[in-house]
Amino acid sequence: MALIETVNIGQKYGGQYILKDVNLRINRGEVFALIGPTGAGKTTLLRLLDLLEVPASGSVYFDGMDVTANKSLRLQARRRMSFVLQKPAVFNMSVYDNVACGPRWRREKDATIRQRVSRALELAGMAEYINRNARTLSGGETQRVAIARALAIAPEVLFLDEPTANLDPISAAKIEEVLAHIIGDQKTTVVMATHNMSQGQRLAGRIGVIMNGEVLQIGSPGDIFSTPQKKEVAEFVGVDNILSGVIVNRDNELVTIDVNGSIIQAISDYPIGEEVHALIRPEDITLAPRKDASSARNTFEGRIARIFPVGALVRVEVACGFSLFAVVTKRSAEDLSLTVNKRVYATFKATAVHIIKRWH
Amino acid sequence: MTELWDGLVTALKLIVSLNPEVMEIAGRSLAISATSSTIAALICLPLGAVIHSNKFPGKRTLINIVQTLFSLPTVAVGLFVFVLFSRAGPIGGLDIMFTPVVMVIGQVILISPIMLGLTVSALSGVDKTIADTAISLGASGFQTAVITLREARFAVLAGLIMGFGRAISEVGLSLMVGGNIAGFTRTITTTISLETSKGDLELALALGIILIVIALVINLVLNRVQQK
Amino acid sequence: MKRKIIVATLVGLAIASLLASFVGCGGGTNPLAPQERLKIATTTSLYDTGLWGYLEPMFEEEYGVEVDILSAGTGIALEYGMRGDVDVITIHDKAREVQFVADGYGVERVPFAYNYFLIVGPADDPAGIKGLSPEDAFRTLYETGSGSFISRGDDSGTHSKEKAIWASAGYDYEEVRTAGQWYVEAGRGMGATLLMASEMGGYTLTDMGTFLSYKSELELVPIVDEGAILLNVYSVIAVSPESNPNTNIEMANNLVAFLTSPEIQELIGNYGVEEYGMQLFTPCAGAEPTS
Repeated sequence: MALIETVNIGQKYGGQYILKDVNLRINRGEVFALIGPTGAGKTTLLRLLDLLEVPASGSVYFDGMDVTANKSLRLQARRRMSFVLQKPAVFNMSVYDNVACGPRWRREKDATIRQRVSRALELAGMAEYINRNARTLSGGETQRVAIARALAIAPEVLFLDEPTANLDPISAAKIEEVLAHIIGDQKTTVVMATHNMSQGQRLAGRIGVIMNGEVLQIGSPGDIFSTPQKKEVAEFVGVDNILSGVIVNRDNELVTIDVNGSIIQAISDYPIGEEVHALIRPEDITLAPRKDASSARNTFEGRIARIFPVGALVRVEVACGFSLFAVVTKRSAEDLSLTVNKRVYATFKATAVHIIKRWH
Repeated sequence: MTELWDGLVTALKLIVSLNPEVMEIAGRSLAISATSSTIAALICLPLGAVIHSNKFPGKRTLINIVQTLFSLPTVAVGLFVFVLFSRAGPIGGLDIMFTPVVMVIGQVILISPIMLGLTVSALSGVDKTIADTAISLGASGFQTAVITLREARFAVLAGLIMGFGRAISEVGLSLMVGGNIAGFTRTITTTISLETSKGDLELALALGIILIVIALVINLVLNRVQQK
Repeated sequence: MKRKIIVATLVGLAIASLLASFVGCGGGTNPLAPQERLKIATTTSLYDTGLWGYLEPMFEEEYGVEVDILSAGTGIALEYGMRGDVDVITIHDKAREVQFVADGYGVERVPFAYNYFLIVGPADDPAGIKGLSPEDAFRTLYETGSGSFISRGDDSGTHSKEKAIWASAGYDYEEVRTAGQWYVEAGRGMGATLLMASEMGGYTLTDMGTFLSYKSELELVPIVDEGAILLNVYSVIAVSPESNPNTNIEMANNLVAFLTSPEIQELIGNYGVEEYGMQLFTPCAGAEPTS
């Protein structure tokens, strides 16, 4: 039985539905990431899962109980979970007192409180700040105190809303380290919302992609990453090449797709005539100065339209009748002496092409 | 100019020698105003928290009325309280007219709008996420109100100090319902009024200085508490 | 945590001691035993002269009671008496006193002392009214407007007397009020009005007692002090238990007896003689003086 389950829940703000028909199950002990762009409804969904809001439609179950409307059941259930806000507010008191708030409100014994607080601060890496006034901390430190505060009540579910969105890369990395540590150490169920796809991949066991108030796909990071089910999901997870075409031929599972005149070969079991998107990850495209006699079925000749560095990699846009985006290492870019307008051949395997149905 | 200087000198002499009459009057002012401030605080802090954390129809209007009452003239409150508690009035049976008790009651009525209004305003200044955070950590309604008050403590304290200031410096109410009875209901302010009208400025000046000193000391003490 | 407990205890003690000081505010020896109290509303002229300050401790000692004296204008004193907020009143406005008793608010009008009103003013007498009769003096002031007149303007006994003189001189009081800038309504007690007149160099009507006790601070001299209309009789009236059942009638009656007793009458007569060289009040024990 799932720890938290939602059945067709929706939420309205000001008369408009901002979340529709969400069916989700959070299993005990798992780490679930809710991924989507800003404004997709992640925070709202998180708040509904944490029972901080009552859904406008549908039902929510916690540990088998229907907690949709019953105020006292909701309070009971809510007390077993805790929530770390995107910009957490720390109280104007010492770090110790902040973290001790939760247990104190639940009337735990002093000794228990002390133990919980120091354990939580240790997990969050904030043990040496114990007597500092929480308001004097930096953004990253505040976030960690908030996490410790949430852990101190020994919740069964820990919700994190965009835990690193407002932080610089170093602080963000530290937070991820803390989260990884917590995930490894505790048996807490973790549900986090983030717009950072790779963060979700790194930390979560299962991902739900949410856009425009709808959950579009739920699956393991691998599934989402390599086999997105919808165009929007694909765009979001960084599949830069989304080509629209029609299946014109098939030979067992090898299909031929007509993309505006160009031919692509891929593996799929959609029938002839099906209108589809062909998704190709930029990393799966290799560039070469000459036509390569490799086993790759798809080779296109074109000119480099744009080159731009992305961190330690280089993104290359190739115009070959349609645009193809490839990603190579800096080294490779230098070795191949890639420059704008240079003629190159872009190649990818049929197996690298992920076919999804084209929805209208 | 010499009159002022002479007055100041005599005033200091009265204070330093702990002149019994002066001390008695000062002590009474302090006792009455401190009591009324404490009672008003005990009423207005919880009430302010309740008003702040609940939505109800007419909330805006209520807050507006409270803020209007900040400027209640003390004589108006005095008149109201007098008519209420006079033996001929509706609550006359209590027989407290012209005693310190009715002065305390009157001051509580006088300063409650200020304390209430400033408490609500102080609480509104606290980020909503504080309350949200508290709730998500499992705080009950009461515990959430307490933590919000704690977060707002500077502004709340300022409101309390303001209320006390109004109480200890008012004349109209004390004169009307206290009757300025020597040895019983005379306060610093009513004595200043009386002595000035009699032309005896030394005692009035001495008391004036003491009033300012009291206000200063209270302020300093509360400021130190605020720092913590 | 410990610090919080200490602070809370201190605050609690402070509050407790404050409230306790209230209960003990009676001033008596035993702060917890409720003291019997007698509330007297008096006209300001009996208070500002210090007569009440002189008599109060004697009465308190003799009868073992705490006396609360409210010094207010005659008008307010009558109001307090009607409402039953005081137990006894001492004022000086015969007409209203008689009405007060007739209306059932007071037990009996008992005169106990008298003196005279006089008109005082600046030594150089700008309006030239020295030695005139009160009515003539007022007439001159009205017709010539050559001197300021500071009126009590507060519905007190003195104010009533002033109005009576205007009436006797043939004027409508409402016209006098709006006659000109020379007529000033102070709206304050006798002492304060005298100080104001002194400050402004104007004339005012005052009772002898208050004038004498403030003389040293004033630059005013007697201008008009002869005239039957200037007679000023002080009476004491106990508030009637029929109109106000909660009134302390027993102690009020004690006060009436006290004020009219021979020993106190003598003390009243001697009050201020040594200091001012003349009587402030002439005792008249219950009987109405004729002149």
